[in-house]
Formats: sequence, C-alpha cells, structure tokens
Amino acid sequence: MPLSDPGQGSTSSTSAPSGTLVEDGPAPDALETALGGPAPMGPGRPGRGGHLQAAGHLSAGRNLLRARTVARPVLWLVLGFLILAPCACFLVLAISPRLFDQGSQWFTLSFLRGVLSGGTAVSLVNSLWVSCAAAGIGLSIGFPIAWLANRTTLPGRRFVAGAMWFVLLLPSWLPALGWQRLVQPDGVMYRIGLDWPFVTHAIMGPFGVVLLLGLRCVPFTYLAITAALAGLGQEFEDAARVHGAGRLGAIRLVAPILAPAIWSALAIGFAETVSDFGVAATLAYTSHFPLATYQLYTAVNGFPPSFPAAAAMGWLLVASVTIPLALQARALRGRSYAVLSGRTRMAVRRELGRRGRVLALGGVWLYFVAALAIPAFGAVSSSLLADYGATFRITLVNFRAVLDSSGVSGPLERSLIYGAVTASITVVGGLIAANLLARRRSRSTKVLDFLLLAAVALPSVVFAAGYIFAYNLPFLSKIGIDIYQTTALLLIGYVASSLPTNARVLVGAVSQVQASLHDAARVHGVGAARAWLRGVLPVLSKPLVMAWLLTFCGIFLELPISQLLYAPGSPPASVAIEDNLGNYHFGIGMAQAVVAVLIAVVAVAIVLGGYRLAAPAGWRRIGGGTRG
Amino acid sequence: MVLNVQHPTPARHRGRTRLAPALAGVTAAGLLAAVATAPAGAATAHATSRSKVVTLVVYSAQGYDKLATEDFSAKYHIPVKLDDNSTGPLLTQIEASKNNPKWGLLWVDGATAFAGLDTQHLLLRGFEPNVAWNSLGKQAVPADKSYVPTGITLMAALAYNAAKVPNPPSSWQALLSSQWKGQVGMNDPSQSGPTYPFIAGIMNYLGSVSAGESYYSELKANGLVINPTNGPTLSALASGQINLALVQSSAAVGATFSDKNIKVKYLNPVTLLPSAIGIDAKAPKQEQLEAEEFASYVLSPAGQKVMQTGDPTGDSLYYPVLDGVQPRKVLPPLTGVRTQNINPYTWGPRENTINSWFDQNIVQ
Repeated sequence: MPLSDPGQGSTSSTSAPSGTLVEDGPAPDALETALGGPAPMGPGRPGRGGHLQAAGHLSAGRNLLRARTVARPVLWLVLGFLILAPCACFLVLAISPRLFDQGSQWFTLSFLRGVLSGGTAVSLVNSLWVSCAAAGIGLSIGFPIAWLANRTTLPGRRFVAGAMWFVLLLPSWLPALGWQRLVQPDGVMYRIGLDWPFVTHAIMGPFGVVLLLGLRCVPFTYLAITAALAGLGQEFEDAARVHGAGRLGAIRLVAPILAPAIWSALAIGFAETVSDFGVAATLAYTSHFPLATYQLYTAVNGFPPSFPAAAAMGWLLVASVTIPLALQARALRGRSYAVLSGRTRMAVRRELGRRGRVLALGGVWLYFVAALAIPAFGAVSSSLLADYGATFRITLVNFRAVLDSSGVSGPLERSLIYGAVTASITVVGGLIAANLLARRRSRSTKVLDFLLLAAVALPSVVFAAGYIFAYNLPFLSKIGIDIYQTTALLLIGYVASSLPTNARVLVGAVSQVQASLHDAARVHGVGAARAWLRGVLPVLSKPLVMAWLLTFCGIFLELPISQLLYAPGSPPASVAIEDNLGNYHFGIGMAQAVVAVLIAVVAVAIVLGGYRLAAPAGWRRIGGGTRG
Repeated sequence: MVLNVQHPTPARHRGRTRLAPALAGVTAAGLLAAVATAPAGAATAHATSRSKVVTLVVYSAQGYDKLATEDFSAKYHIPVKLDDNSTGPLLTQIEASKNNPKWGLLWVDGATAFAGLDTQHLLLRGFEPNVAWNSLGKQAVPADKSYVPTGITLMAALAYNAAKVPNPPSSWQALLSSQWKGQVGMNDPSQSGPTYPFIAGIMNYLGSVSAGESYYSELKANGLVINPTNGPTLSALASGQINLALVQSSAAVGATFSDKNIKVKYLNPVTLLPSAIGIDAKAPKQEQLEAEEFASYVLSPAGQKVMQTGDPTGDSLYYPVLDGVQPRKVLPPLTGVRTQNINPYTWGPRENTINSWFDQNIVQ
C-alpha cells in the first residue's frame, strides 16, 4: 500500500485526500468523543456524499470560503508588517546602509563580500555544520524518547513531557554555563579529584558545542513527534503485523508516516541552532570556536555598531535555511500525511521487558542528566556561592538579596504577562499559518514556508534592530504612530519572533487532521465555526497547549528583543537578570535566574494541570492517542 | 570626612535651579552622610516654573540608576522613564534610532562612546554644571562640553589572590615574565565595554597601536586567559584558574567584599574610565532642560550620596570628580598612582578596528 500519492496531496475541505493509508469518513469512537454524540450513520464528505448539498450548508460553505478568501490576505498583511517589514529593513542595510543613515553608500556589495572572508566566513561554515549535526542529534535522541514516552510502558513516562518543558524553559546559556563549571580547568570535576583533561578538551570544543546544541534540539523533536504520534492510530502497526511484519517492519512502515513531523523537527532544529546565541556566546566563545551569531552580535554590539555587516551575516543565515527546506521539500513532495481521521484507533502501549525497561529508562535519564541536571547544578551552584566560587561554602545570601531588593517582582510579573499574552496571540497565528502550510503546496505556501523558517534562523537581535528601523521612522512619528519603546511594540516583536517556530511545531499535527473531522460535524448540522470547535479543536487541543507553552517558555526569559525594545520603566525579567550577570552581581543574577525558572516551572505546571482538569476526557484521549 | 560639594547649578540656567543645601552629618562608616534634600516647596516651585514638564527618558547602565532617577523624580517632580540596560544595547538603540531618537539622557561608563556620539552630532554641546571639579574631573571634562563626567573608575586594576601571590607584579612589563605564565586573565573588549579603554590605554602608554599589539601578543604567548566580562574573570581568579585578573577597579574592589583573599593593586599608568552623562541633541528643548537638571542633581550632594550608596559592591566604588567629595574608604588611595587620560576623540574612532584585531589575534 503506497504512502505517497503523486498528484494528490490536498487536504483541503473541498477535496478529500485519497490514496493514503486511511480511508475517508468519520469513525464511531473518535467522533463520538469529538461531537459528544453518536457517530454519523455514513460518510459525508463535500463533493462526494450528498449530505452537504443542502442549501443551508451551501450557504454556510460559501461564507466559510469568503472568510478564507479574506483571511489569507489578512494573514499575509500581518506577516508583512510583523516579519517581512522589520527583517527587510534590517537586511537591506547590507547593500544600502544610507537608507537608514548607517553609512554613506546607497548601494554597495562590500559588506556581503566582507562576510565571505576571514573569521566571519569561518564562523558561518562552523554554524552550518554544527546546525546540521545538532538537528541530527536532536532527532536521534528526541525520536526514541517521544516513542518511548508515548507508545511504551516506560516507567516515569508521565514526567517526560514536563521535563522536556523544563529543558525548553532554560535559556541556552544556562546548560553551557553548567557544563563549563563542571569541566573547566579548576572546575568541579577537578576539585572532586577527577583529573580528566580529555573530558575538558572534548566538552570545551566543537564536540561540546554540537552536543549541547543537539540536546537543545531534543525538545523540538519530542514535541513534533509526540504531536504526530498522538494522531497516529494503532491501525498502521496492526496492519503491518497482520501482514507478517516484525517490530522492525512495523517501525519501517510507521516512521515514514511521521515524515512531516520528522522534517519539521529537523528544520526547526537546524534553524534554532543556527540562530542560537546562548551557547555561541558562552561555551563556543570560551572554546575559541566561533559561530555566526556571535560574530553578528559583535557587529551589532560594537561601537559604533556595524548594522550593515550584521545584515550581511543575516542574509547568509537566511540563505542557510534553504538547506533543510530543500531537503524537506524533496522528501515530502507529492505525498499526503493526513492520517488522523474519525477512524483513528487509539494506540496500545507496548509492554517493555525488564531489560528494555532498564535500557530505556537509563537512556532517558542520561539525556535529562545532561540537559537538566548539569545546567541546574551550574545555575544553582553559582547562585549559592557568594565568593565567585573560591570555596564550596554554601550561602543563601544571593537569594536573600534577590528577595530583599525592591523591584524584583515587577519584572517577573511583567514577563509572566508578556509570555501569556504573546503565547495566546501566537498560537492563533501559528495555527492559521500551519493550516496554510499543511494544505496543497502552492507558490504562496512555499513562500510562507521559507519566510517562517528563515525568520527562525534570524537571530532575535536582527528582529529587534529591524523593528527599530521599521517602526521608528520619522514620518510615522509625524502621523502619530509612535510605538517604539512601548509595550505594544515589544509584544509585537515577541509574537513575530515566536510565530515561525510555533507554526512549524503545529504543522506536523495540523497536517494529520483529515477534513472528514470537520465535515462530519457539518453533516450533523452545526455551523462552520462550531464544527471546527467540536470536530477539530479536540484533536488539536493538546498540540495547541504545547505550542502555547513553547512560546510562553521562549518569551519568559527572552533577552535580545527585550533589551532593545522594552518600554523604559517596565523591564522584563531577562533584562533585570542580564543587568546583574553582565556586571558585578553574578551570584545575584544567577539567583534571579533560578527564581525565574522556578516560577516559570510553576506556570507550566499550572497550565498542564489545568488542561488535565479542564479538558474533557475525550480531548485528552484523542490527544494522548494511547491506552495503557 | 566632610562632604563639601559646591551647590551645582546648570551654567546655562543659573538662578532657575535653587536647591537648598541641607548638608547633614557624616557617618563613621566612611560613607557619605550628607543628605542634601531639596525642600519640597523649592522643588515644587522649580517644577511649576516650567511651561510643561515632559517625561525624561534616561538610558543608563549604572547600578544605582534606579535609586537616582527615583530620588530625582521625587525631588524635582519630573517624571522619569528609565531604560536600565547594559551599555552595548543602549548604544545599539541610540545608533539604530538616530533618525528619530527617543532618549533624553545617556548615563554610562566610557568617554570613547560619548566621543563617538559627539562626532556624529548626537550630543548636546556646551552644557557644564556649575560645580568644582577635582583634578580627576578636570581631566574628564571634554573641550566642547558634550558630556558631563560623574565619577571615575580605573582600567585596569590588578586583582590578585594574596594567598597565592604574596608579591604581585609591579609593572605592565612584569606581566610578560615567565613567572606569570598562564596566570593572567582579562576581559574581551567585544563583550566588556570598559576593556577597550584599557587596551587603548596600554597602546597610548607604549606610544603606538603597533607597540600595544606587540604587548598583547606577548601577553597571549605568556598564556593570557580571556573571559567575557568582569564577573567571569573574577570567578576564574577566585577558583584558581588564574592568579592575576585585569578588571575594572570597581569590580576588583567589589570582589574583595566576597573573597577576603582578593587584593587590588594599580600598575602605572592606569587609565581613567569616566562615567558620564550625555544629552540627546535632538530631544525636545524641555527634555534637554530636564536632562541638564538631572546631571546637576547627580553632581549635587544628594546625587553623590545615591551614587556612593546605591550599589555598594559595584558601581558605587568610584572615585569622585568633585572637590570635597571623598571616595569610599574601601577604595585604594590614588596617592602615588600615575593615571592617564586617553583622548576619546583619538581613540574612540579606532575602537572597532582595535577590537577586531584583538578578537582575531588575541581572543581566538
């Protein structure tokens, strides 16, 4: 049974996919849950069955079509203002610095030539291969963990998702710092008598940089694969087994069905790594292993800043995302991956044997020790030492300073609100964009795909500076639009920077949703919006909650955009922390970071717990996709 | 110790500013105790004498800026919005928004940055508060009065672990000896703003850029360890990774509070690093006036008190620029220390070139 169906691939509501592994039509169990009632008597699909031909439904269909016709240009307009304009304003400086008074040339290629030589070229090459390797590591670790947590009886599997959120919550410099404190000369490893210089050389070099960035990619893979597994019913594995395939054969059958999620994970992993600054400025920097984002940062942060040189590097980073996109397009061309329908059967967890349990648990633990325990050690130890680490004397003086000082709660509260507002807006935008990406590949969706991934690859500082150039133009002030240094522009910046990742994370789950879910609800006589709410939302609720948390976690301690765009007088937490870390109060800054992360963990726990309590059991069951 | 600060009055608005000096006593702890609080009535009269008070936007990287702006706002009834950030992002914001600036006043360390802004005509020129500068202050005031020094730190102080280094080196050349191989650390100028003046200072002292480059190349050959900023360099000193740290004097002295083994020494000559206030040349007139009042406030007894107490283990550890204001006792005396003031208008434009050279040849 072929997975691909060249010439097909549309999953729009007006033409059903055929030739995929699943058959059309709503199935009893899932739809009963989704619609809260018994399953329909028979399949009803627009253009195929006769149920939707009723006049009222046609009218509603026309309204929906009209809404979509309006929605698409609106989306492009929003993307144009949010992402295209600021990025273009920044990137154009590479060839025309005079446009924004950043040089004397109206047109020059000297900056682009400059970044292709010397140290910058080396850092770009480093960034490219490191990003490829990190995305690969992310997939090779994240996929098995997602599988184990979602499809097996792995002990402690309920904690895996929470721990993954914890990993995402940590700013990337924190793991780097933790590892550094552990293995650096005169670090903890040596102080406790482990004289292992080979570990120091390994971690404080390209290997360590790739490893840390790879560990950072794991949650993205985990999220993408988990969302995809949630929509992948048991029927495919059963079919393979019925036809005599062993476990390996079943995996070989199922893995390609997850291709959109896998490629999404690889693409996000690549783009997130190529734009990462936390590791580039800490471990990579200390290891004398230059990465492009650090070079870009020095160009922007030097005095006077060279925005044109930074823009030239930005061009190359944007260009770099064509690598994963091209590979993705080549791999997915002409195929449909809509597997989540009304007939999707809940998967059954595979019982792990004793040896399997030990091995699986050991592997998962190893990952979390590397990704969480060591960074936590680095952060907590730094915050508990008042003497710059001269001794192992533990003190709470830094935490006392944090709690005693006035104005600590304000930035934290602000960041919580900023994170929640941004996440809520971004999830809506991300869902719309993911819907477009999941549909038939037209020229506009290809452009959208590239735009979103290119935006992920651009370091946040580019966004932030681009926003100043684009939204602080004198003529805007003259007509009364003065949004630079307001919370509104900060939130817009946050949304713009998180929307691309959000959309990429959601596209895996959205591309699995068959139109039959929505259509079946329409067959039962509900309106378009209600049909979506009752037919599709239950299926997507868990990925949406995940996407919300992903954005919340990313924004809560976001630094580059916050630094350049925050409204004076209203600093978010990251600016306050950086202020201490970058100056004299390293321990206090680390204590602030620990407190902030703990607060964010509580917030994540509240959201996940709230979903568990508030969402109907059916929503969670569909989202969970497994029994046992 | 008696605080005796001449009452500051903006030179161009003399007579309008009427702070009533209320000098209080002096504490035995060595901190300034002179509390000069403008009477509420005077401040109110001050504020209402203006046509329309606008919000003053302060860009600052000083550890005591929050307290200072709050105190100023309370005394002068001028609303202040503070962008409290590192120097790098603040300068990036200013450069990116120079077509349509939104800041009123910049308060950071390093004259070279101000000279760079002044060269681009981004700073208001010709304003000098009516204060009595001491010798450090006189050296730091620019000829065109485009910025106002508010304090001095030194770059670089030699912080060392006295338990391991009973006899620290006594000259810059001594750092090149094999005795200190692998034991010297400093900051990266691309991440640490105050480090460029140190590098430029050594070049100035040795007579040329190339002589300075040779010096740093030799230092690297002798095992120089580069860390991003003051904190990590001092951390390396505390952990024993290095035994000599070349950092900003305020950071070095601040480290002695938490690690009693750390001592501080100045090698001759040491470069002055003024903290200063610059005013946006394109800001509305009213905001410029308020910024001038803020600068005057900072140099008033009340402002100096906030500066010396607001960040006790950090930025408060500066050498005052005013006659009669004594440095905090914990600071090493400058008696016998040779200081040098590099010309920011000469060395400022070289910053990117020299930092790039340093990054490619010393850091990498």
